[in-house]
Amino acid sequence: MTLKWVLHWQPNAGSTVNSQILSEVSQCVESINGVKEGRWRATLTFYKPHTREQSMAVDFPRDFLGISLPEQPNKYYFIIRGQRIVLEADSSIQTLMEKLQSYKTRVALHFDGFQYQLGDFQLRVGKVVPTHSENLRGIVMEVEYVPISSVEKARQIMEEFLDIWQEAVSKRSLPGHFMHMEPNFAEYGLTDHYTSQHTAVQYATVMAQLIATVQAVQSVRN
Amino acid sequence: MECVVQGIIETQHVEALEILLQGLCGVHKERLRIHEICLKSGPNLGVVASEVRLLCDLEQPESTWTVRHIGGAMRGAGAEQISVLVRTMVESKVSKNALRLFYALGYKLDHELLRVGFTFHFQRGAQITVTVSSVNKMLKLHATDEAVPVTPGIQLVEVTAPASAENYSEVVAAVSSFCEYLAPLLHLSKPGISTGVVPTAAAAAASLMSDGGGTPL
Repeated sequence: MTLKWVLHWQPNAGSTVNSQILSEVSQCVESINGVKEGRWRATLTFYKPHTREQSMAVDFPRDFLGISLPEQPNKYYFIIRGQRIVLEADSSIQTLMEKLQSYKTRVALHFDGFQYQLGDFQLRVGKVVPTHSENLRGIVMEVEYVPISSVEKARQIMEEFLDIWQEAVSKRSLPGHFMHMEPNFAEYGLTDHYTSQHTAVQYATVMAQLIATVQAVQSVRN
Repeated sequence: MECVVQGIIETQHVEALEILLQGLCGVHKERLRIHEICLKSGPNLGVVASEVRLLCDLEQPESTWTVRHIGGAMRGAGAEQISVLVRTMVESKVSKNALRLFYALGYKLDHELLRVGFTFHFQRGAQITVTVSSVNKMLKLHATDEAVPVTPGIQLVEVTAPASAENYSEVVAAVSSFCEYLAPLLHLSKPGISTGVVPTAAAAAASLMSDGGGTPL
């Protein structure tokens, strides 16, 4: 599995994400000679415990989520971020969880967009939308460096690419910027050798950021 | 979904059973050493209690994990008439963090077992698996090296085959038909309906052992 960084769009204080920004970002990729290849989609589901009474739900994790990734069509990933747990399973685990009836879907989101080839890099730009809605909640970007699988060995080249990318985006004077927050993979029991479990953990981290941003905007409004 | 029958056999006759199965299946046995951890949902989780089993295959150089949920058995007059249990079953391979995940979700350890024995996987009208194993309990939590048989001198035989709503009748027929070949040595029936050892077992075993398995049935 080759290494990737998952970035998310961090709007400036007081501004929100919109489809205009998404369009500008996509144009930006093409302006640095990214070749559009096709669509991609990942789906993330937040689960909530199924309890007889609402008050009992506090005893169970609030940050239990699952994600399916396009590069692993037969797999599904569970993450409990607060306890630094990540699990890779067959897709059938979703059916298994449904049969248990102990956890239900609280909300499901799609990461949806286009994939681009840029030399040794593969880029994906995607909007974050709830399933059954077109309400844009965020923008994510995957930067994959194909030749290397080591988290540490790829760090320098990824940082250099990110500098180039951030500069290209800043020229468009958009109200925000892309952020990369690298989780501590070791805390999840993951090694330097990159896997789809690393990707799942990055998405869980991105979601935590997106939620924090939405909550911050809401508290300013209130 | 899966079709299941079970039976018991005295440990002294297991070698004869192995010879019989080898002759019938035409494949080699695979060794089995599975640590089975049975979890139940905690008191407030879910409107109804749920159970899940974590299976750790200790026979592999690096232990591999599977999560399995066994659901309700098929019910109704039709189901009662067939001698094979048909039930829902979902399983998934998982990475090694499964126990930590389920504990974090609010599941608790109900009991754990160590199954030691062998399996035969083969195709005979359906994809059939025969498992012959001793069921052992651990004296200390997760101490698989210190396990003792739950029923010394007796081993469990399980015949299972995956099925779907469309083909379960054929699978039931295939399993039933296969079980008839084992009748001299053991009686197989739905789990929960125990029949004990069969009186012909000793004679059948002696015949198989002296034969060396050379005569196919």
